[in-house]
Amino acid sequence: MKEAQAKKFTFNDYWDRYSTITILVIMIVVFGILRPTSFLTGGNLIKIVEQSSITILLGLGEFFAILLGGIDLSVSSTMALSGALTAKFMAEMGMHPAVAIILGIFVFGALIGAANGVLVTATGLPPFIITLGTQAILRSLVYIITDARAVSGLPATFSKSIGGKLFDVIPVPIVVALITAVVLTFLTTKLQCGRNMYALGGNSQSAWYAGITVKKHTILAFVISGICASLAGMVNIARLAAAEPNAGTGYETYAIEAVIIGGASFFGGIGKIPKVIIGGLIIGVINNGLNMVGVSSYYQQLAMGCLLILAVTLDRFFGASRKN
Amino acid sequence: MEPIVQMKGITKRFPGVIALDHIDFDVRPGEVHVLLGENGAGKSTLMKVLSGAYTPDEGTILLNGKEYSRLTPHISAEGGISIIYQELSVVNWLDIRENIFMGRLPMKKVGPVSVVDYATMNAKTQELLEKVNLSSRKPTTSVGDLSISEKQMVEIAKSIAFDAKVIVMDEPTSSLTEEEVQKLFAIMRQLREEGKGIVFISHKLSEIVEIGDRITIMKDGGYVGTYQVADLTTDDMVRMMVGREIKGTYQHLPEENFQFGDVMFECKNLTRKDGKVKDVSFSLRRGEILGFSGLVGAGRSETMCAIYGAAPKASGEVWLEGKQLSIKNPYQALRQGIGLVTENRRETGFFQNFSNKRNIAIAKQLKNAKLDGMWGFTNEGEEKEVSEKMRQEIQIKCASLEQLTSQLSGGNQQKVILGKWLGAGVKLLIFDEPTKGIDVGTKSEIYKLIRQLADNGVGVIVVSSEMPELLGLCDRIAVMAEGRITAFFDIADATEEKLAKAATGDIA
Repeated sequence: MKEAQAKKFTFNDYWDRYSTITILVIMIVVFGILRPTSFLTGGNLIKIVEQSSITILLGLGEFFAILLGGIDLSVSSTMALSGALTAKFMAEMGMHPAVAIILGIFVFGALIGAANGVLVTATGLPPFIITLGTQAILRSLVYIITDARAVSGLPATFSKSIGGKLFDVIPVPIVVALITAVVLTFLTTKLQCGRNMYALGGNSQSAWYAGITVKKHTILAFVISGICASLAGMVNIARLAAAEPNAGTGYETYAIEAVIIGGASFFGGIGKIPKVIIGGLIIGVINNGLNMVGVSSYYQQLAMGCLLILAVTLDRFFGASRKN
Repeated sequence: MEPIVQMKGITKRFPGVIALDHIDFDVRPGEVHVLLGENGAGKSTLMKVLSGAYTPDEGTILLNGKEYSRLTPHISAEGGISIIYQELSVVNWLDIRENIFMGRLPMKKVGPVSVVDYATMNAKTQELLEKVNLSSRKPTTSVGDLSISEKQMVEIAKSIAFDAKVIVMDEPTSSLTEEEVQKLFAIMRQLREEGKGIVFISHKLSEIVEIGDRITIMKDGGYVGTYQVADLTTDDMVRMMVGREIKGTYQHLPEENFQFGDVMFECKNLTRKDGKVKDVSFSLRRGEILGFSGLVGAGRSETMCAIYGAAPKASGEVWLEGKQLSIKNPYQALRQGIGLVTENRRETGFFQNFSNKRNIAIAKQLKNAKLDGMWGFTNEGEEKEVSEKMRQEIQIKCASLEQLTSQLSGGNQQKVILGKWLGAGVKLLIFDEPTKGIDVGTKSEIYKLIRQLADNGVGVIVVSSEMPELLGLCDRIAVMAEGRITAFFDIADATEEKLAKAATGDIA
């Protein structure tokens, strides 16, 4: 048989690989030309990166729900609930921040994710319905726990370390997001469970017949989503030095947008973790850039919506790997 | 008597096959005309020409004295032809009267507006239900609450309401109890009295003898003949239905004095919770290929799914190489060395988003991974090695191992799936319709590969609806009917006639 012949590198191939980064670069160039002195400054770019870190963290978790052909609408509420619980542990019970963080992320975040996963696998209902339900339930729990009031009085060491900057330059939130992304990239590319999740997202029937434990992998995907959302919750309370009961309302939309703009297939089985970071950055650049240009915030959602539809449409026409 | 409908020389070609080859078929008023043939003989295609769903390439259709070269669904329905498919087409969430009058609701005027006339609808439905002996049900009963037999009666009532002259029933008895069959026959006799023409498709010979007047037999898309049922014995019917020469695509000729090894796999008294498999027992010797024959729905695939853990068992034991296995899901089957090549490649066989390399390597990696196949490293080098080895061993024709499996031909996709199992080192490999949708050339390659497996000591089970395939490939054939094994044949004395007879449930 012939080995893969040296094929001509077409625009389709280019778009398939670099679509997301191209969109990001184009946007930075456009805003840079429009506002060279305010947009293209080191301080502003760092601000964008810092502001994007929560979207990126939520998107990293959301990626797994979408990879399996599902969705997780509860990430925003999960973020608020673990944030509120961790804040309460530290502010009202005097728990050491490290212990509180570990509890918040690996116990509550993971448990909430596991609950989503178990509900999805046990009922066989679409993840959309289950997580729409848990989104409301978890948000309600936040109000009940906090009495609908912000939890403040967090230890200064906590807000300064997680919400601060490394070497006074690099925001810690983006470092958290990047480390998470590295771990998850390793999981999706080098670990068997990651490979299995791509298979499961590609064809759940084939996955079952091939011997992949479908239910366990589904629960795992939601657990990862819960953990990432809780990480976003930590970053959020650290940046604000308080846990707001309304924190993150509507952010699940940003998370989904970051994943989809990042080129993942909404039908499952296709997508890459690093592209979620770029997807999250694109959302950050749009919001910040439009502010700089002086566009009313009323128009920002409009721009986001257009970009989302455009990005997916372009993928449909030019993405070589979608042609099958 | 003048036939209601007369089809002459109907020919229908699909790319690469002749589905119907000059078929003559007519239906007279007041008769039950049986249509008999194996799966794939062309019965359904012929009925689709009659319903107007397919356009014939040649032939004419005389309907109510008018000649057509093709029917449309509209002409067919207006001409009084009504077809009741095996998969009933009633709508479960509507009630009986709505199902019967769907698309033709009786209307009445209230002032200037036209509204549905429920009173007329109820009265007419009541009348129809009495006619089909279903007066115990109210016109407003939801069809979802009815049994399959009752739903069938609703379909018949619908045909009567549409003033059908010819009613085609496609395997109406396949999911009915004996008592329900008798009820159906009573209605059929009554309709025959009233001068309707009934086309009855069934594989059950005893039923054909009981209810049929005339019979048309088809095989491989060809016309065998039309006879009076009373003039034929059931043996005649079977012989004419399968009496073809076995095509020489592959014929295994065992070596002289060949001895099978020990029993390597045993299935004892396997029964499924859903009743699709009842008390199935068989064993498999090393070096032997065991075939499973039977009609669609006889429980062959269902048996294999239960062994493989893809469907729950109610009771029964599975033994592999002297060890009793407890398999609750396909993962456990994989770990124990059992593989299943499923019937539908695209839906259940491979991953459309995966390259050939990954589709082949996944089973081996999954088997080696810990924690129910979750924990372990995806070894790029091992993936390449196993997939390259399989590509050479079973000659998978692909542009590269990085190519998506979904871009390959059906035969090569099947080889990728075969490579997946061989790469994982299976001890028992079950094939469900291994050559479905595969061209003739690749077919014989696949047969050779299957035989090689058996020679190398892998246990092989082949489920197939193609009798020549089983007769050419297997050493022994089990026949199933209605969830049970009805007969075993050694290849030396297996014939298509015997298999077909056992498949109808008449135990030889």
